[in-house]
Amino acid sequence: MGADVGASNSTAALVAHGLSKRYRRKLALDQVDLTVPAGSVTALVGPNGAGKTTLSRVCMAFERPNAGSVEVDGVDPWKHRSQALRRVGYVPQSPAVYRGMSVSDHVAMARSLHSGFDSEYARRRIGQLGIPLDQRADTLSGGQAAQLGLAIALGTRAQVLLLDEPLANLDPLARREFIQVLLDAVRAEGSTALLSSHIVTDVEDACDRLVILGGGKVLLDCLLEEARQTHRLTDSDSPPPGATAVGSFLGRKGGKLTLWRLAVPEVGAEGAADVAAETTSLEDVVLGYLAAGRGTAGLQLN
Amino acid sequence: MFARIQLTLRQHRLETIALFVLCGGLALAGVIEAWRLNSLNFPHSCLQDGRVVQYWYDGSSAPTACQLASKKFYDLVWSPDMSIVAMFEQILPFIVGIGFGAPLVAREIETGTAPLSWALAGSRFSWLLGKIVAVVVVMVPLLLVAGLAADVREGALVPGIDPHAMFDSYAARGVFFVFWGLAAFLGTLALGTIFGRTMPAVMVALIVCVFVRGLWEPAWTHTILRPFAVEADYQWGSADLFVYNSDQLYLDGKPWNGDLNQWFNEHQPAPPVMATPDASGMVPSSSAAVSNAQPVDFGPPPQPITYVIHGADYWLVTRLECAVLLAGSLFCGAIALFWVGRRKPY
Repeated sequence: MGADVGASNSTAALVAHGLSKRYRRKLALDQVDLTVPAGSVTALVGPNGAGKTTLSRVCMAFERPNAGSVEVDGVDPWKHRSQALRRVGYVPQSPAVYRGMSVSDHVAMARSLHSGFDSEYARRRIGQLGIPLDQRADTLSGGQAAQLGLAIALGTRAQVLLLDEPLANLDPLARREFIQVLLDAVRAEGSTALLSSHIVTDVEDACDRLVILGGGKVLLDCLLEEARQTHRLTDSDSPPPGATAVGSFLGRKGGKLTLWRLAVPEVGAEGAADVAAETTSLEDVVLGYLAAGRGTAGLQLN
Repeated sequence: MFARIQLTLRQHRLETIALFVLCGGLALAGVIEAWRLNSLNFPHSCLQDGRVVQYWYDGSSAPTACQLASKKFYDLVWSPDMSIVAMFEQILPFIVGIGFGAPLVAREIETGTAPLSWALAGSRFSWLLGKIVAVVVVMVPLLLVAGLAADVREGALVPGIDPHAMFDSYAARGVFFVFWGLAAFLGTLALGTIFGRTMPAVMVALIVCVFVRGLWEPAWTHTILRPFAVEADYQWGSADLFVYNSDQLYLDGKPWNGDLNQWFNEHQPAPPVMATPDASGMVPSSSAAVSNAQPVDFGPPPQPITYVIHGADYWLVTRLECAVLLAGSLFCGAIALFWVGRRKPY
């Protein structure tokens, strides 16, 4: 076990093949095939119960998959847990901190548990955010606690960062700050981040790749820009030329909107005669796929 | 490692403070009570078999000096503060062990810090081992100090005998403190790891500890300690003995498995039968009792054999029992270390 397992020469930071996970009757992950390229910032988007957290947990060897396999930086976390986890910086869903311990204690604890932990780096990041190191962690605001969690994950100097809905309980300003810190670190280190969230607008500007999970399945996996360019939203049932319907959902103004997938990326305004006044945002793309995955009664296309 | 110990104790600040207060307080109380007993200067000439015998006198004559000294001694022995110290000596290792063992893993799962720690540690085995070592490093010396203080108090209760050569409350003092504490700690840790919840682990551990502690001596005396025991010859008069009875009844030196009630019915003389009153309602005085009331000597009834273990075997018994407690503790620790690797952190 002393030898390094699966040293990563590949360009994929995370690879899942036919990954399935069942909790009693509920299939949380259903034959998930996923590749997260090294150096990317990937948004893992989906509604509650889509399987985002389960995917993170399987990657962290907290859950054993029922079928398929997953590799983090070339290492199967279930077979070689220690080596896999050394390569991952993890930010859990809720920013859990030890009561009665200071911020500095948390950094010291991370140092004592992780041999390669860079305490100075973590302390510097915390200091830059104006969080006092001697403050008790249980008195931190939600945003500060999330930043502490991120600083600890970054302090591991891992090449892969796995962030399990870290933005869920943060206010808009804290969310923006969190993402900014994350992006700065990822760009500086050239690491890979998989950021799960059910709030699409938060990750829209931060990520370069989009994975939509719904009902335990991967509904879409592509570059963010590609997602925008290859989808169009209309307020009618007439498809743009060469487009296939994805799903329909209620627009903000109450009318039915339909998301279409184009055969080729649309260039300029040509061929966009049927495109509705509403522009195709990432949220629209996600909503279209989720509506299709959910089979929303009355809005599903024939 | 020092940082790890420090951080673990900081995570369990309340338990650590309680450990210091309870062990320190009990050690201090034990020494003070021993000092109070010793300061009575009970005359050694009044001791019987090394013990202070409780004298009873009816007040018809003036009490002797020994009787007065004995009264003062037992007034102190039976005082409420001495009873409280004695009670805490019985339960302290369990309080400490359960108090530390239950939350060590379970609280991490309950409060949601387990994913953070386990993601950082990689190996949960080494993570938990580090926490166990941190607790043991602090718990063992403190329990040992409290146990030795209990030894000192026991020595003052029986002034004529070395406490390490007698069996009075032997499993509730001395090094037993450490080993009971370890067993309770690692046993409860295993429960906490399996349940992932602190309170259920505490409740189950309390029940298990009551049963184990209650059954400990009866189980031991009839099994592992049996080879060290000798039959009492009823001539023994030393107070350093560990005395217990066999489960098996014996009659004329042979094992006897009959019905004791039936035996007594068959061998005891029948109760006297009263004569029938005559027509006047008077019982004839000449026939008031019946002849079969005569006592018959059938010899001693079936009875257990009384075994004794001499005080000279104190350390042998202590080593054996502590070794078994340690083995049990290690087994429970191994379960916890194994299970934490399979446990979900939520």
